[in-house]
Amino acid sequence: MNDNTSHPPILKLRNVRRRFQLGETTIDALNSISLDIHAGEFLAVWGPSGSGKSTLMNIIGLIDTPTAGKVHFDKQDTCVLADDELTEFRSRKIGFVFQNFNLVPVLSALENVMLPLQIQGVAEHAARRRAAAVLVDVGLERFKGSLPDKLSGGQRQRVAIARALVVEPMLVIADEPTANLDSGNSRMVIDLMREMNRARKVTFVFTTHDPRLLDHVDRKILLRDGDIASDEVLQ
Amino acid sequence: MNILKLALRGLMRNRRRSLVTLLAIALGFSAIALFAGYTHNVYDGMARGAIHSEMLGHLTLSKRGMRKEGKLDPQRYLLTANEVAAITGLLKDEPHVEMIAPRLALSGLVSNGRASTIFIAEGIEPTAMERLQRDVLNEREKQSGLYDNLMKHLDPAHSEVVELSEGLVEMLHLSIGGQAAVLVNTLSGQANALDISVGHSFNTGNAGSNDKFAFVSLALAQSLLDAEGRADRLTILLDDMLQTGAMRARLSEKLRAAGFDIEIMTWQELSDFYNQVHGMFDMIFGFIFSIVLTVVVMSVANSMGMTVVERTREIGTLRAIGLKRKGVVRLFTAESMLLTLIGCTVGLLITLGVRWGINLANISYTPPNSASPVPLLVDMDYWRILFTFALMGAVGTLAAYLPARRAANQAIIDALGHV
Repeated sequence: MNDNTSHPPILKLRNVRRRFQLGETTIDALNSISLDIHAGEFLAVWGPSGSGKSTLMNIIGLIDTPTAGKVHFDKQDTCVLADDELTEFRSRKIGFVFQNFNLVPVLSALENVMLPLQIQGVAEHAARRRAAAVLVDVGLERFKGSLPDKLSGGQRQRVAIARALVVEPMLVIADEPTANLDSGNSRMVIDLMREMNRARKVTFVFTTHDPRLLDHVDRKILLRDGDIASDEVLQ
Repeated sequence: MNILKLALRGLMRNRRRSLVTLLAIALGFSAIALFAGYTHNVYDGMARGAIHSEMLGHLTLSKRGMRKEGKLDPQRYLLTANEVAAITGLLKDEPHVEMIAPRLALSGLVSNGRASTIFIAEGIEPTAMERLQRDVLNEREKQSGLYDNLMKHLDPAHSEVVELSEGLVEMLHLSIGGQAAVLVNTLSGQANALDISVGHSFNTGNAGSNDKFAFVSLALAQSLLDAEGRADRLTILLDDMLQTGAMRARLSEKLRAAGFDIEIMTWQELSDFYNQVHGMFDMIFGFIFSIVLTVVVMSVANSMGMTVVERTREIGTLRAIGLKRKGVVRLFTAESMLLTLIGCTVGLLITLGVRWGINLANISYTPPNSASPVPLLVDMDYWRILFTFALMGAVGTLAAYLPARRAANQAIIDALGHV
């Protein structure tokens, strides 16, 4: 049994629905999802295309709001927060890793990692010191001055992981972090996330298509047609 | 977050687009600054022309009603010798007053013995005339050689020697040093003729007056009008043109307190031509300014609009990692402001270069209604340059506001999914 489930949940979803209106068409992306995510978990959400994985990740990451239902993050009802409060809340508690890396192309690796800290108002020298330390943790200290287009896909994703971790978040959301990587780099990225999960006690939630990567997680949630088809806690 | 650093890097992403927008701003700015500099030079030249060449001085004092009724009833409106002396005594020690010169205008016929024509003359003391004209040309205009025939001279030792306009000399086939006769009505209405000699000729600078105008000594004018010691007005020269308005108020108050019913006009009120040209150039400047400003705003708005669309996913990322909506707006408006300010700075450098070239090229042209060419010169109109810089900076910054706000208000998931 995964020990993490004994911890209090950092995120609670209750009867969350998400409906999209596309012209005349109504799409129910999520149907009454209830879910607890505990501190320190390394959790994969998987399922076929259109199953609602990305929608669920957006709601967990507080960058989208449910049509109905409640989202509590760290005991805070996030649905009552105004946009600026929610942004502030998100910037301190959640880190993001994107499928396309989403690094700012005109900033070096170090500057990209510094960015969330500088947005929070951390002084430049402190941000630089903290960002450099995280880059060491992800093994990219030699590339801190490199622009993203001078880095390989795997290196870019490691910069993105460093950017997500630098604010010392409670939760890192990674939507298809390996989709644009070859199998070697995919494995390396998942291993790195796992290492950070263990070393830093940071909760990771990621989506994937690749069933081989599911062997490394504590828990896997299978989504199908907007519903949780299975929620499996692994040994 | 160091917004300016990020904004500067942002400008370097699409260098060609940034360069084109920057050039549009720079060329627009320099067009405005050069035209402002040209009109500044024209205004300055015309102001000096009115004060020193037309010899209006800075202030003109006359009995109230003189301008309207003086021609019909000169006896009533001319200042007497005692009044001239009293007013001069009262005002000569006032601050900024450099000189007070009595003046007497007259008109009549001038003849070469075979033909005659009308003339309009100004009576003025020769020394006052020299002093009034002292600052008529700046160094650059003196060097141009285009104004050699502008200066007027009267001989203090020979009151019968007059200064005739070039057209008048030509029309009557007179020569310098030659003799002519003038016929004038005295104040009491009797005909009075005197022989004169042509001392020098001058160009009035105006085609309409260059065959009519003359300068005579005040003594000769008083003698022709039989108005000994009298003057129709007093011309006051100040040591600082900027004091004109303040000194008018001060002198009016002083004269009123001393019991004089005197009207004081400034050179600007008396120089219709200056006012008309100033008004016309101001209107043209406003027109050009509006067009250039519109082009700049459209260029910046278009450039920033494209930039915002291209970077929608990046905006989504920044919003996801903690940048607030107002932070997004600030980022793009900073980028736009930087682009505009760099454009204006480049425009200023272009202005300096083009101005230097124009002023060095010795270009001259003949303005409408002018009797002679004038040099094309461009000044630095610092106030209007500063105003243009500030306004373009503000408008250029605001041009990014709408697209940036639209992007900031977009849902994060939509922005992240933007292709």
